[in-house]
Amino acid sequence: MRDFATTVKKLCDASIKDYINPYSSFDWPEAVNPEQWFTSPELISLHGTDVYENLADAGKKRLSFYEAVNFFSLNIHGEKSLVEGLAERLYRKGNDEVTGYLHHFLDEENKHMVYFGGFCMRYAGKIYPNRKLVFPREYEPGEEDFLFFAQVLMFEEIVDVYNVMMSRDERLIPIARQINLLHHHDEARHLVFGRHVVKDLFDRHSPRWSGETRQAVREYLKHYLVAMWKEYYNPDVYRDFGFEAPFQILEMAFEKNRAHRKRISEGCVRYFLENEMLDEEPAL
Amino acid sequence: MRTETEIKNALRNWIVETNNKIQPEQLSDETPIIEQRIITSLQVMDLIFFIEKLSDRSIDVESMKVGVFRNINAIYDNFFRAIAA
Repeated sequence: MRDFATTVKKLCDASIKDYINPYSSFDWPEAVNPEQWFTSPELISLHGTDVYENLADAGKKRLSFYEAVNFFSLNIHGEKSLVEGLAERLYRKGNDEVTGYLHHFLDEENKHMVYFGGFCMRYAGKIYPNRKLVFPREYEPGEEDFLFFAQVLMFEEIVDVYNVMMSRDERLIPIARQINLLHHHDEARHLVFGRHVVKDLFDRHSPRWSGETRQAVREYLKHYLVAMWKEYYNPDVYRDFGFEAPFQILEMAFEKNRAHRKRISEGCVRYFLENEMLDEEPAL
Repeated sequence: MRTETEIKNALRNWIVETNNKIQPEQLSDETPIIEQRIITSLQVMDLIFFIEKLSDRSIDVESMKVGVFRNINAIYDNFFRAIAA
């Protein structure tokens, strides 16, 4: 626990030192030419499929624009529920040790939405709609907190792999690279915090859960990771690009790109397996 | 354009296939699929994709309550009644 307190203190110090203003940190171009790279080609959801390979270079680049709008949109949706969940946990009894950092976490997530939304609204005039719903239910003590932070961690682990790759990709237009880079800077801290807090919550609470709950939690996380990946294959993107059968494209690409999802999820899955929060690899 | 019966049958088949335990005869148009956990919150996204595919329309979940997915009749009323044959 002492180690965790030290980590939280270091993360708070780093957040103060790296504090950014999302309104003045970006040089937003007036307009963007859609025939440039906005998403690394290897990260486009259709990459490796015949549909993608048969597109002309200009088409691939145009598709990369819609994919970026989707990537930023799904970040906004994830962050909206994250901000809600973080705000709920501020100053909650038993959270004294982490409340200081929750303030930074919340602040940084709000800033991310400012620039993700800034890109989407400026250049696409919209954010792709959310398709996730959560049903209220009863939880065992600590289960809801654990699931909240575990889902956040899974989401951020995958996003961060994309951010790191795209922040280094010189083919991308500067604004796309910069958004990915600044997001990665904050996410690197959130991931350190997430890995600590998720393990701490699991170790503290799961021994008191029934065997059935422990199993259900592991099952849920396994399915959550798969469901999360489905958001990367958005029929609205395919429709906006001009494909005539967006759902067929989605099904085909999701089936085809299993190896890609597995590769990107590797670090995240390893962490959950090593800490016994998963008992087998999810069927990605 | 599909009829009401065709749409409801398509929804029933999808739910049975997705749940993988329930038998078609156990699933009426009024069976509460969310309340009885026949469909989980993580499967709702797939259900939404299926409804979109069937209705050829996008769905924005943020403007909706969970109740619109409570059973086959509710799904039909909320997403198909206005457009069915």
